[in-house]
Amino acid sequence: MLEPMVKTEIVGLRSTLDSTMACLQRCASVQLLDASSELGLKPAPQAVDEGELGESARLRHLRTRLDALISLGVVPEIPDDRFPVEARLDQVAAELDQLAPAVEPLVTRIDDLEAERSTLPRHVESLRRLAPLVPRLPELEAYETVAILVERRHAAVIGWVRDELAALLDTHFEVISDQVDSDTVGAVLVFPRDRSRRVHALLAERQVSRVHLPDEYRNMSLTSAITSMEQRIADLPVEIEATRAELWELLSFRTHWHAARDNVDRRLAQLDALHNIGTTERAFAAIGWVPQRHLDELADALRSDVVGEVLLTTREAAPDEPVPILLTNPGPARPFELFVGMLALPRYGTFDPTVLMAIVMPFFFGLMLGDIAYGLILFGLTTWVRRRWGSRSAVVADLSRVLSIGAVWAVIWGVVFGEVLGDLGHRLIGLEPLWIDRQEAIGPLLLLAVGIGAAHIFLGLGLGMWNALRTSDRHLLGERAALLVALSALFAMAGVAAERLPRGVMTPSVVAVVVALAVLIALEWPLGLVMGPLDLIGAISNVLSYLRIAAIGLASVFLARVANELGAAAPLALGIVIAALFHSLNLVLGTFSPTIQALRLHYVEFFDKFYEPGGEPFAPFGASLAAEPEVAAPAPVLIETD
Amino acid sequence: METGLLGIGAGIAVGLAAIGTGLAQARIGSAGIGVMAEKPEMIGRVILMVAIPETLVILGFAVASMIIFILGA
Repeated sequence: MLEPMVKTEIVGLRSTLDSTMACLQRCASVQLLDASSELGLKPAPQAVDEGELGESARLRHLRTRLDALISLGVVPEIPDDRFPVEARLDQVAAELDQLAPAVEPLVTRIDDLEAERSTLPRHVESLRRLAPLVPRLPELEAYETVAILVERRHAAVIGWVRDELAALLDTHFEVISDQVDSDTVGAVLVFPRDRSRRVHALLAERQVSRVHLPDEYRNMSLTSAITSMEQRIADLPVEIEATRAELWELLSFRTHWHAARDNVDRRLAQLDALHNIGTTERAFAAIGWVPQRHLDELADALRSDVVGEVLLTTREAAPDEPVPILLTNPGPARPFELFVGMLALPRYGTFDPTVLMAIVMPFFFGLMLGDIAYGLILFGLTTWVRRRWGSRSAVVADLSRVLSIGAVWAVIWGVVFGEVLGDLGHRLIGLEPLWIDRQEAIGPLLLLAVGIGAAHIFLGLGLGMWNALRTSDRHLLGERAALLVALSALFAMAGVAAERLPRGVMTPSVVAVVVALAVLIALEWPLGLVMGPLDLIGAISNVLSYLRIAAIGLASVFLARVANELGAAAPLALGIVIAALFHSLNLVLGTFSPTIQALRLHYVEFFDKFYEPGGEPFAPFGASLAAEPEVAAPAPVLIETD
Repeated sequence: METGLLGIGAGIAVGLAAIGTGLAQARIGSAGIGVMAEKPEMIGRVILMVAIPETLVILGFAVASMIIFILGA
């Protein structure tokens, strides 16, 4: 259901603004609106003083510096009970200024060492590929060596380089080239050092890429460079750790920085929220949406936290004013809010389908999967996933709960269909279905699916009529009622054709269809001439769309049967492995596909009949911040340190 | 022979519908992935859009079922 919201106004003396904002932030139950424009007052930051704006800029700067140091990973996060939040932000800023000259060179050094650690192996790799080309090349002081690696399809470049060097240097050079691996050809050019500039200019002009080495290795021979680099790679971890240890000594006991960062976040959120506060010379006013059930708690909190007079009153909302949406459903239905929110939140004052979805969606899921063993395995897996990862991710917890409920329905329908791993239960222990054998009685299964679809669509149309009545929308009411009557009459006609209803029902049914169609056409005249019949055809196709419940179920049971047949055809051990593989695949498909199809049946066929999207989620001031510290921080004071 | 022809007819009904659904889903799916890369919160709408053409194959399945159960009876 949608939580009833109340529009409230909070008025107080300017001297109580800070404590009121802190209280609202702690309660996290008010979504602030722009009071300055609604009441025609000045916004708070402009009205207060420029110091507030300066404070915001300085806090953001402090936040960035704290983030940069904490992200180094050498400031342990100690719980607040050991280091209560009493760190004044001015002290923290002073600490940062004092430490900066010592910390910055260390951080730069670590960055450089890490960069070296990641690039050196690539250089060694390149040089190793070239090494076989020059096994006994002497270290010649007067000569320079340049290495080139080119893709094999561009090997002709090396011949061209040889020609160009001959033209430039006559015979005073050497080019040694060979294929260094399946895709690359390497070449080493040796030429007098005094011609270095001209050779490099030639290569650059012709866009020939050379193997670039760091400066300290540039004047070494190939083998010496490889040896030096390998030694350096071995030394780097030790050097990095030593530098980190120095950094650790400087920063490891600054555990209060985490609390300070939280403090900065709280204060910044307060300063941002001030934009919504309207002020006069002596007073302030805030307007916001509060969930009705939190109104008394908020009043009590203001009374106890704020020293001085603050008045909390409720305001009349404008008829078309958008109201934020807070879904509050009973515990078992709550995970399904995820699926409602995935589409779009309902508009305030309309129907929240979460509870209906919580009942019907797992029912559909179970009907499609419909197997005792699959249901039990899925229940076990989802329970394990929830216990293992549920506390870390709300989405994982919600999804696993939804699938657990679906798994229970799969077991129930598995009993109804008499299925354990497809027909394995029947083969091994002679298990018989309680009602429908899906593998044999396909016709009744299809009828069951259509019947369930009709009931679901009728429920949707009924809810649409209820919504239309609440909003006094006669047009919508007429359309939904006409569709309901037409569909009912068409089903009655089908019942007569199947000799399940008396023939006397046929005439009134035909009349009902004609009248309903006429109403649909009249409601949208003249467009209704096309749209009316289309709406009716659309509603029929919506009902037929529920055949997918039977189709997906049939695919699942036949795949399980294939797994059993293949398993039975092989020797016992191999057969068990094959059957287990196929059943695992079927379980994955049988979990994914029914979830998507059940969702689709809700989103497309069911919601279309009544659902009115367009709600914006409730976003209370203070909700995005961490819990309030155990020891309340004093109002933060930041001294100018720059 | 007649049973075989009915089977072929049912197969064509569901097969062509599946091809149509696949073609539509391929285009919608690639566009949907693009949307989700920029706006992950649109996942619900994307699922909805991708799932809409499936009605085609379900209607094909319905026709195939009718061929087998009504004509084949």
